Amino acid sequence: MSDNLVNVLDGNTFVVSDNRGDVEASPADTTGLFSFDTRFLSKWVLTIDGHRLNPLSVDDLQYFETRFFLVPGTGTIYVNATLSVIRQRAVGHGFHEELTILNHDDQPVDLSVRIDAGSDFADLFEIKDATGKKGKYYHRTDKQHLLLGYERETFRRETTISSSAPAQFDEGGLSFSLHIDPHGSWTTDLDVVTALLGWGEKHDKPKYAREGRSARPNMHRSLEKWLDDAPSIVTDWEPLKVTYRRSLVDLAALRFSPPVAGGASLPAAGLPWFMTIFGRDSILTSLQALPFVPELAAATIRALSAWQGSRVDDFRDEDPGRIVHEMRYGETAAFEEQPHSPYYGNADATPLFVVLLDEYERWSGDIKLVRDHEAQARAALNWIDEYADLQGNGYVSYQRRNEETGLENQCWKDSWDSISYRDGRLPGFPRATCELQGYAYDAKIRGARLARTVWKDPDYADRLEKQAADLKRRFNRDFWVENGQYYALALDSDGSQVDALSSNNGHLLWSGIVDKTKAKAVMRNLMGPRLFSGWGVRTLAEGESRFNPIGYHTGAVWPFDNAFIAWGLRRYGFKAEAARIAAGILDAADFFDGRLPEAFAGYERGYTKYPVEYPTACSPQAWSTGTPLLLLRTMLGLEPVGEQLLVDPTLPTAIGHLALLDIPGRWGAVDAFGRGRVVADTTTKLRPQLSATGDDKPTRRR
Amino acid sequence: MTDATSEFFARLARPSSPPPLGNVTGTIRIDLDQGKATEHWLLTVAKGNISVSNKNVKADAVVHTDTELFDRMVRGEANAMASLLRGLMTVEGDPEIVVVFQRLFPGPPNARFRRATATNEGRLA
Repeated sequence: MSDNLVNVLDGNTFVVSDNRGDVEASPADTTGLFSFDTRFLSKWVLTIDGHRLNPLSVDDLQYFETRFFLVPGTGTIYVNATLSVIRQRAVGHGFHEELTILNHDDQPVDLSVRIDAGSDFADLFEIKDATGKKGKYYHRTDKQHLLLGYERETFRRETTISSSAPAQFDEGGLSFSLHIDPHGSWTTDLDVVTALLGWGEKHDKPKYAREGRSARPNMHRSLEKWLDDAPSIVTDWEPLKVTYRRSLVDLAALRFSPPVAGGASLPAAGLPWFMTIFGRDSILTSLQALPFVPELAAATIRALSAWQGSRVDDFRDEDPGRIVHEMRYGETAAFEEQPHSPYYGNADATPLFVVLLDEYERWSGDIKLVRDHEAQARAALNWIDEYADLQGNGYVSYQRRNEETGLENQCWKDSWDSISYRDGRLPGFPRATCELQGYAYDAKIRGARLARTVWKDPDYADRLEKQAADLKRRFNRDFWVENGQYYALALDSDGSQVDALSSNNGHLLWSGIVDKTKAKAVMRNLMGPRLFSGWGVRTLAEGESRFNPIGYHTGAVWPFDNAFIAWGLRRYGFKAEAARIAAGILDAADFFDGRLPEAFAGYERGYTKYPVEYPTACSPQAWSTGTPLLLLRTMLGLEPVGEQLLVDPTLPTAIGHLALLDIPGRWGAVDAFGRGRVVADTTTKLRPQLSATGDDKPTRRR
Repeated sequence: MTDATSEFFARLARPSSPPPLGNVTGTIRIDLDQGKATEHWLLTVAKGNISVSNKNVKADAVVHTDTELFDRMVRGEANAMASLLRGLMTVEGDPEIVVVFQRLFPGPPNARFRRATATNEGRLA
C-alpha cells in the first residue's frame, strides 16, 4: 500500500482512503469502505466549486477515528487559502463524517460543495481477482437520503447516506449550495450506514454519531488499561521497550469480537484484510501472548469451539472435530463460489487447538474452561486419528477434497512451491509435512495431561500417551534424513522422504517429538550458515534447489517461525542458541520501529546490513506482532511448573538487565529478572545492535 | 410440518452422549413458513440438554426461513451459513447460538471422504 492511504477501523469495518479522506476505487484497487468482506463505498470524493482539496495534515484521533485538515488550492506547495475544510470520520456500522468549512476572509463566500458517492459492492475476493458482478445495482433518493443497493437473488447489501444539513441528493452523490459569512463556518454531519440483510446486521445510524458521542469508547483510556494490565518491562536495552510497547498496541488493534465469542476479543490474522477468524493465526498468536494477555487464548478457544467442524463436507474440507481455517461473509462465500462459510482446509489448527487449551491451563489454572471444552478437545484429538490419517499409515497428512477453490498446502507454508525435495521436485498428495506430526504428538501428550488432571479419565490418558510414544518412535525412524542429520520436510504420498532442509525442524523441537539423541544435530542445522542468516532462521536452507532469499516460504525469514524455533531450542536446553535467535529478530524489529513484518528476505546479515522487508499487504500481522512477546518468554526462560513460574534467563550480551513485572497467571502476579552474560561492545558498529551471547562468532563474508 | 424436519427435531430431543451442542445454554426459535402458515420450533438448551416444543415465545435467537429450505438443510443439501449470508434465512438475536446450532445439520449426502483403512486404498473415493 502506498503511504497516503489512511486506514480507519472498527472490528471488521474499515475505511481505506487517501490523505484527503477521498475514496476513488478502481475494480482491482483496495480503497473504500469495507464491512463483512464487502466494499460498501467505492467512491467518496469531496469537491468545492468543482475542485478537489489539498491535504494539510491527518490526525489519527482514535483507532476508529481520523481527522483530515484540507484547503482548496491549485496543487502548489504554498497555498494562501481563505478557506479551511475539516473532515472528521469515525468508523462503525459504516461511518460518521463531520464536514466543516471555515471562512477566514473578511468577505462572505458562496460555495458549491459536492460529494460524489458510489459503490461497486465488491467482495474482497473479487478485488483480488477483479471479476464481474452477477447481480443488479439499484438506488433510491429522497430529500433526506441516497440509498445505494446491490441485489442478487435474495442477497442484498445496502449503503444509506444522509446529511444533517439540507442537501440535494441524486444517484451519484449529494450537493450543497452554501453562503458562509465573513469569519463564519458551516458544518454538516454525514452518516453512511451499511446493511447486510439477513445476518442481523441492521442499523439506522453509524456507531459513533455526534449525539452518541458520550457513549464512544474512550480508546485512549481503554488502551492505557490494556497496557497497564500487561506486565511492565524494565531494561537498559531501549529498543526492546519500544518493540514491546508497539507489540502490545498492535495486538490491541488486531483484536476483534466475532459474533461467537460472547463479547470477548481474540486476535485476527492481520490488518486490514484478514480481520476475521483464522484458526491457525488466532491460536499461534494466543500462544505467543499467553504470559502477557492470557484472555486472548480463552476467547480463541471459545470462538474456535463454536465453529468446530461437525460433519463431512467436501466443498468446505470439513470433518467432524476439525478446527476452522477461515470465515468470510462476502458474496462469493454466500453463493458458494468460495468455500469460506467457513472453510476448514488446514491440517495444523486442530492439534494446535489442544496444545493451546493445555498451555492456557498451565498458565492460568482456569480448570473450568478446560472442563467446559472437554468434548471439543476430544473431538479434535479424534480428528487426528480418524480423519487426518489419510493414508492409514499413522501420520497426519493433507489432500484437499475441494479441488477447485480449496487450499493445496494446508500447513502454514501454504504457497504452491513451499514443500519440495532437495532437487526441487514437488511431492504428490497426500502430503505429510513433518511439523504436523510434531503438533499431533504434542496434542496427544497435552491431551493426556488434561485427561488425567481435569477430565479424570486415566484410561484415555494412558491411551493417548501410548499413541504419542508410538508416533514418536516411528517418526524418528521414518523422517530422519541420515546423511543430513535433520528431519525431512515431509513424506511423499509414496512414503519417500521429501528431503529438503527447512525451518520446520525448529517446530519439531518445540513439539517435543525430537529424540534427545538427535536434538544437537537438529540445532546445528538450524544455527548453521545454510539456515541461519544472522537475523533469523530461513524457511528453506541455502543450497536447496528452490532456495530463494526472497521466496515467501522458500528462503525468507519469518519472525513468528523464529519465535517458535527459539521456544523449541529452549525446550531442549539450547539456551544460548535461543538467545541468538532472539537477538537477531529483535535487532530486525528495531529496524522496523518495533513492528516486525510478516517476513523479510533471507539474505545473509553481513551482506545487506539491514533486514529487507518482504512486500506484504498486511501490517501489522498478528503472529509477527506476537513474536517479541514469545521471544521475551524464551529469553527469560519463563515456564509454568505446577503453581509456580520458573524463571531461567539467558539474555543476549547487549542487554544488561531485563525485568518483566507482574506476569499474570495461576500464581497471581510475579516478576522475572535476567542479566546479560557479557557487556556489549557497540563501538565498532554503526548503531548499537544486539550481538547474541558471548560465544557468538562473526558471520561469514561474501 | 414435514417428516424430515419432525424427525430432525425428534432426534435432537433424545438424550445422547456427548451432548450434540456441548455445554451450551440458551433458547433458539425456528420459524418456518409454509404457504401462509408459520410453524414454530423452540429449542431450550440447558448445559447441552435439549428439549423441543412448538411454543411461539421469545428466544435468545430467532431463525426465520421456509419449510422447503429447512428440509434441504436437514437432509444436508443446503448449507445453513451460506443460506444466512445469502438472505435465504434470517436471524435475529444472538448469532453465537445459531452458529452452534447449525452444526447439527448433516453434511452433503455425496461427501467423498472415506475413513482411513490399513491399506492405501479407498482414502478418497
